[in-house]
Amino acid sequence: MIADNLIADRGQSAGDDWITVEAANVKAALGALKDEGFRLLVFLTCVDHLADNSRPEWPGRYELVYQLRDMEKLRDLRVRAFVDGDPPEIDSVADLFPPANWDERETYDLFGIRFNGHPELTRILMPDDWVGHPLRRDYPVGGEVVEFSEEHELWQTAPDKA
Amino acid sequence: MSDTTTTQPVPGTEGVTISRTGEHGAFGGEILTVNFGPHHPSTHGVLRLIVDLDGERIKRLKPVIGYLHTGIEKQAETLRWQQAVVVTDRHDYLSPPINNLAYALAVEKLMGVEVPPRAQALRVIMSELTRIASHLVWLGTSGIELGAMSMLMYCFRERDTILDMNEEISGFRMHTSYIRPGGVMADATPRFLEMLAKFVREMPKHIDEYEDLLTMNPIFRSRTIGIGYLSAADAKVLGASGPMLRGSGVSWDLRKNMPYSGYENYDFEVAVDDACDCYGRYKIRIKEMREAVRILDQGLNRLPDGPVNVDDRKMLPPPREELETSMEAVIHHFKLFTEGYSVPAGDAYVAVESGRGENGCYVVSDGTHKPRRVKFRSASFVNLQALERMAMNGMIADMIAIIGTADTVLGDVDR
Repeated sequence: MIADNLIADRGQSAGDDWITVEAANVKAALGALKDEGFRLLVFLTCVDHLADNSRPEWPGRYELVYQLRDMEKLRDLRVRAFVDGDPPEIDSVADLFPPANWDERETYDLFGIRFNGHPELTRILMPDDWVGHPLRRDYPVGGEVVEFSEEHELWQTAPDKA
Repeated sequence: MSDTTTTQPVPGTEGVTISRTGEHGAFGGEILTVNFGPHHPSTHGVLRLIVDLDGERIKRLKPVIGYLHTGIEKQAETLRWQQAVVVTDRHDYLSPPINNLAYALAVEKLMGVEVPPRAQALRVIMSELTRIASHLVWLGTSGIELGAMSMLMYCFRERDTILDMNEEISGFRMHTSYIRPGGVMADATPRFLEMLAKFVREMPKHIDEYEDLLTMNPIFRSRTIGIGYLSAADAKVLGASGPMLRGSGVSWDLRKNMPYSGYENYDFEVAVDDACDCYGRYKIRIKEMREAVRILDQGLNRLPDGPVNVDDRKMLPPPREELETSMEAVIHHFKLFTEGYSVPAGDAYVAVESGRGENGCYVVSDGTHKPRRVKFRSASFVNLQALERMAMNGMIADMIAIIGTADTVLGDVDR
C-alpha cells in the first residue's frame, strides 16, 4: 500500500476497498498507486453530499471518487477525496491516467469541480453556453423549457404570456 | 486543434463546414479543417468530429460529444430505487438488459442480496442474447458503411428473432427493463424456451452466412486489414475495454476475469486477436457471437428450477393472489408502491461486460428510498477517446471504418 501519511481514512463499502486522501494529496496518492500496479482508472466521478443526513458530518460537500484497478492482480481500489469551496478545486490527474481527461471534463461540466492543470477544461456534455452544473443537488429537475414543445413555442413567440 | 484565432472561414461560405487554418502540411498544401457530423449516418448516432486534414491524411482529430445527452443520471436520482431501472435501459440503447444487470447487481451488492440460481441463469441468457443483438446491429451498419450493402438485411433478420424473444419474455421489444434488483421481471415462458432452443440451433448457421459474406470479401478486407492500428500498450493506457482491448491482443473479459451472475459456471472462450486493426475487431465480434450461442446452449440445458425473485417482501411486491387473503401483503404492497424500499447508506460499483466493453454502474445511497448518485461507467465514452490514436495519420475514408469497428453507441457516450 502507499505511504500511510497519505491515507486519511480507509475501509470497505459493500465489499469494495476504499481509502480517503486529503484533496491536496490526490495526485501524489494516485501516482504512488499507479506505480504500485493500479494502472487503470476505471472511472472518476463526483458525489454531491448536500443535505446528506446519512452521516452526522461530511468532510466536504463534494466527494471525488476515483475507481482504480490492477488488471494483473485483479484488485480494485476506490480513492475518495472531499473538496469544498466555490468553485471547488482539485488537481487534475489527466497526465497520470489518459482516460481521466474526458472524465474530468464531464465532472467539471456536471458538478463544476475545477481540475487544476487539466489541458482543456471545457464543457463536454452540456452546450458550451450552459449556465449551472446540472448534477449538483441544488440544481432543479424540470426547470428547463423543453425545446420544440408548445411551451417553448410560446416562450419564443409571446414570452409575456408564457 | 487549431485555435480560433488562426481559423478563418472562407468569406462568403458561412455555414460551409470546411475552414482554412493557414498552416502548411508536409507536401506544401494547406491544412484544412473539416467538420464531420454531427448528423452523419456513419457516426452511429450523433457524433461530431473536427478533423484537420493534410491532403487526405488526418493530422488532428477532436471528437465533440454531448448531442445525445439526456440527463439519465440526474433522472435516476429523482426516481425510487426500483423505478430507476427504466432509465438504465436507455443509455446504451443496443444492450438494455446488460445495463439493467449492472444496475441491479450494484443495488443488490449494496443491500447484500443474492438472487436465486434461476434468476441468475435467466440474466445470463438475456445478457448473451443482447450481446448477439448488439453485435448484429454493429455488423449490419458497419457492413453498409464499408460497402457490404446486404449485411444489414441478414443481420436484422436474426436480430428481429431476438427482439421477438425479448417481447415474449418481458412484453417489450427493446427497452425490456427485464432484470431488476431482486431478480427478474417474470419467469421465462415455455414459448420463450422453445424460441431460444430454435435460435440456438439455427444461429451458428447464420453466423457462417455472415462470415461467407465478409471474412474473405476482398473489398471488406482491404478496407479493414491494417487500418486503425491500436497497440496493446496504447489500448491499456487509454483504458479501452471490450473488443477494442481484446482486438489488441489483451485477454481481458470481465465475464472470465471478474465473474458475476454465475458466469464462472459456463464454459466459453474469450475471443482474442492480436491483429490490433479493424479486421481483428471484426473477427473478435464474430467469435463472441459464436461463444454467446455456446453460453446460451448451456444456459438453456442447465436452467435450474425454482423462484426467479428473492423472497423478500420488503423489496419486491407479494404475489397477486396473496393480496386477497393477507393483510400483511396489502401493507407491503402499499408501502412498496408509495414509498419504495430504502437501501443502506454506502456505495458500490459493479462492472459487467457488454458488447462494447466494461459497462459499470456506481451507486451511492444515503439510506433513503432514492439513489443519491447513479453513475454509469460506459465503455463507449472511454473507447471513443482512443479514436484519435487510431485515426491519426490515416486516410479520412478509413476513419469511417475505424468509427465503425470501435462500435461506440452515442447514447452510451452522452448518457
